[in-house]
Amino acid sequence: MKIKLNNNEIEAAEGKSLLDICRENGINVPTLCYHASMTPEARCRVCLVEMDGKLVTSCSTRPREGAKIVTNSERVMKARRLNMELMVPEPSCKREDDYEVCQTYKEVGMGNARFSQIKDYKPDLGAAVIRDNNKCINCGRCVKVCAEIQGVYAIDFASRAHNEHVTPYWENHLADVACIRCGQCILNCPVGAISERSHIEEVVSALDDKGRHVVVQIAPSIRAALGELFGMPVGTLVTGKTVAALRRCGFAKVFDVDLGADMTIMEEASELLRRLENGGTLPMITTCCPGWILMMEFFYHDLIGNMSTCKSPHEMLGMLIKTYYAKKAGIDPKKITVVSIMPCTAKKFESTRPEMESGVDYVLTTRELGRLIKMKKVDFASLPDEEFDPALGISTGAGVIFGATGGVMEAALRTAHFLATGKELEKIEVNEIRGMKGVKEGKIVLNGKEIRFAAAHGGANARKLMEQRDKYHFIEIMACPGGCIGGGGQPIYRDPDTLRKRTEALYSADRASKLRMSHQNPVVQQIYKEMLGKPLSEKAEELLHTHYVKRDRF
Amino acid sequence: MAKEKGKKDTRPLMNMLHEVQERHGYISEHMLKQISVDQDIPIARLYGVVKFYTMFHTEPQGKYVIEICGSPSCVLNNGVRLEKFLENEIGAGIGETSKDGLFSLYKTSCIGCCDEAPAMLINGEPHTKMTVERLKLILKKLRDTEAAQAGEKKK
Amino acid sequence: MQILRQTKLEALEKARTLGPDGTIALIEKRGLEGRGGAAYPTAKKWKTCRDAPADERFVVCNADEGEPGTFKDKLIIRHNAETLVEGMLIAAYAVGAKRCFIYLRGEYDYLRPRLQEQVDDVLARAKMEGVTIEIVRGAGAYICGEATALLQSIMGFRGNAMCKPPNPTTHGLWGKPTVINNVETLACAAQAVLFDDWDSSLRLFSISGNVKNPGVYEFPLGVRMSTIIDVARPEKKLKAMSFGCFGGIMPVDENMSVTPETINMEKCQHGAYSIIFIDETNNVVDVAYSIAKFYTYESCGKCTPCREGTIRMLNLLKKVRTGKAVRKDLELMRELATHIQDTALCGLGQTCGNHILTSLQHFPKDYDAFMKKL
Repeated sequence: MKIKLNNNEIEAAEGKSLLDICRENGINVPTLCYHASMTPEARCRVCLVEMDGKLVTSCSTRPREGAKIVTNSERVMKARRLNMELMVPEPSCKREDDYEVCQTYKEVGMGNARFSQIKDYKPDLGAAVIRDNNKCINCGRCVKVCAEIQGVYAIDFASRAHNEHVTPYWENHLADVACIRCGQCILNCPVGAISERSHIEEVVSALDDKGRHVVVQIAPSIRAALGELFGMPVGTLVTGKTVAALRRCGFAKVFDVDLGADMTIMEEASELLRRLENGGTLPMITTCCPGWILMMEFFYHDLIGNMSTCKSPHEMLGMLIKTYYAKKAGIDPKKITVVSIMPCTAKKFESTRPEMESGVDYVLTTRELGRLIKMKKVDFASLPDEEFDPALGISTGAGVIFGATGGVMEAALRTAHFLATGKELEKIEVNEIRGMKGVKEGKIVLNGKEIRFAAAHGGANARKLMEQRDKYHFIEIMACPGGCIGGGGQPIYRDPDTLRKRTEALYSADRASKLRMSHQNPVVQQIYKEMLGKPLSEKAEELLHTHYVKRDRF
Repeated sequence: MAKEKGKKDTRPLMNMLHEVQERHGYISEHMLKQISVDQDIPIARLYGVVKFYTMFHTEPQGKYVIEICGSPSCVLNNGVRLEKFLENEIGAGIGETSKDGLFSLYKTSCIGCCDEAPAMLINGEPHTKMTVERLKLILKKLRDTEAAQAGEKKK
Repeated sequence: MQILRQTKLEALEKARTLGPDGTIALIEKRGLEGRGGAAYPTAKKWKTCRDAPADERFVVCNADEGEPGTFKDKLIIRHNAETLVEGMLIAAYAVGAKRCFIYLRGEYDYLRPRLQEQVDDVLARAKMEGVTIEIVRGAGAYICGEATALLQSIMGFRGNAMCKPPNPTTHGLWGKPTVINNVETLACAAQAVLFDDWDSSLRLFSISGNVKNPGVYEFPLGVRMSTIIDVARPEKKLKAMSFGCFGGIMPVDENMSVTPETINMEKCQHGAYSIIFIDETNNVVDVAYSIAKFYTYESCGKCTPCREGTIRMLNLLKKVRTGKAVRKDLELMRELATHIQDTALCGLGQTCGNHILTSLQHFPKDYDAFMKKL
């Protein structure tokens, strides 16, 4: 099909949107409400172009043969500008420059503010996710991602006309409804109206307190994403620089959650084998993801018995820091502050769960860490690579891949095979469980018995998998698309290829590891030898396991 | 979009919401949860639907809901005077309920009675060619009925 | 009045002898156009729906007559509902639909019990196997008169307008082909099938405002304005007329022949021929203000220009009426109104600046009366 794009005749594929055609031909069209993985609603009307003399939204319009498209006329620019002006009467890009709206200002060129702010909403404050409807531009992406991608439906539009606003039901706060705190709405908010509840202030004052021993642990997926906040290409692995930056921020010790992941695998693989042998409840479902745990507690609480009782890796390590490490280093656990750097907003909630008896004091997201590093005036890019503190800093490739969907499953299978058969897997890379497909499945044979496993990422996919859960013995669920690398605490991204690149960074780290199985981790072996005895021992149950509660579905 | 499940009522949601409101006078949080479970509709979405339509109420209403037409035809025929009169007479502003719980006052978009303007709906029934005098009579009648009913109950 | 002629199920009988294609061909020959405002050929709509591949099709009667100053559908529902229901059955027969809906606006709920009786009665007599008609109760949302918003409401969602294409005719209720016609169109369809002398040029006019004889009248297109004024009988000299809220405000010219073209020449839109007359004792800005209030209340809120633009236009009009506005404010008002016309998502949104543009164009003196003296 031939169309005319800014006076150039071009070939365009039938059925494609004008927006896609423009972008394929190197023409930038600003957008706000559009998201590549969701159906276009054409709410914001910033992506306007002229088609045959009429203004149309390029995201929702497919051209006909011979259509004449103009993307850069004064009329187009003026209309885009006016819509921006109406949505954001008082533009500001103070806190973060990576909001899409700031990019869009640049693209449309903002003029003088001619309208005054008419919104007057009270803030929605919670322990994990907070919202400010006064910044909201009603683009609806949070509503869509919550429903279409996450299958949670915690928020929707209410009222109409200029009173239309996004809200949980009955104008409740997010913290009081069935919101899983995954933070995908944050990633999808182009204006920063939704964000994590920041704990930077608390962490900074702990760091300034001479009486406190402040240690930090970082999750696997941080190292594959933090660089993006400092202008590095997506997929750059910045493990060493992150450790160096944390030391310069003043943390006494820098530990690796990967080690916690290795501990989780030891416990979880043993739990799986025990259930298989003793006729325990199957399928067993992983519990590393606090978003998924909330989703289960809200909507699937008949599955509480299927959930592994293992705490998540950073909670395990938090516990070990306040027991094992405190004893070894001769520090009073009461004087230790544990800070977790997580790709996740639900982790902020997790560490406040009464059932958890958490060792973690504060959780910072990847984005907050970026802010902290900038605040401390550390020049991230020029830092040397440094190693984790060895006390709790040795980890394996199995721990690293926890950050990607299917990673927990893969790591568990590597160790379960060894624990069950005494032999290492021949092919340790479990390809059928890797990648961005929504629901993945596979099988292995353990001692003559076929074990069927599956993994899902994104809440809506989790719902799909739950409908056919009885087919499997072992299930991994990650609430966020892509797993933790796509977590709600990660840097906000626009390029849909971002998740794939971050995932690849983690798999490359696994391939580069000398040790690739959790049970080979010498520190793990030492912890069991010196303190816990063996997996699922009484002591291990006390420190590393937890339980779940039934929650109202509203 | 809406999930089709066996037990689900296939009647339009709008009709169900109306019926709930007719039975209870308004749509309470409790009723909303009930519908959400029965119909398998996420509650945030349900709330969004209820809040979209101005005739659905999420607060208890007066026994008589008065909706004054605000269309140009009624405005051009002295409709604004009625509004002022009503506010004074029942002691409640637009969007409010009188202290005795008898009247809730709203302003509505055109009710399609422009040929008999000014007009209003009282509990859904149109009252047209309204004047302050006629309005006084109607209010008196409603209040008398209430007083009589209250008297009956006492006996 | 032609619209009150009863068809007594004879039109349906005739349609059944003609067959679906024959019925559509006859409707086409009679020249029936949609009476909701867009004047789309009814036969074409029905044919598109019939030809769209699907296992299920729907017919929807749009009885959400929300345009201020419009009350002709109410007349039909009150006095000729049987013909209306018959028109729906003819549509269902012609396109192959089983499930039909009447979306009745909440403000007309008092008409529902009687309408339900007539629906039941006609269905019983018509004996069309498997065909059902459900009345869906609106609840106060002007936007639901817009086809896509109306379908959203029937399906149990917020009445937000949706992007077109796809068009409801091929992708309507639950993604299936759906014919949406308004009350007058469907009643006319039955009459057009049955009566050889059916006159396609007659239109219903809803007349109201500063006149002694408001009401629904039937006039042929091209009627002289003086004829309308003669029956409407204003007490004072008429100054302006507003086509509902959406169609714009223009001066009353007794010599004008009323056709879509002559109305468009004044930058107004005829819509469903609702005329609100305004006499010389009124200032047009006050009328524009009440229209602006209406839109600020009724915008569905989905798209930026309509959601944010309507309240800004209202605020500017407030400024005008309190004597605080300067010329620049009028320019901004004009800019906003044009912008909404150009960029709003749905057909209703695109018209919600018409009253500003036309009143500024035709009645500058009314604005002058309010302007700040510099």
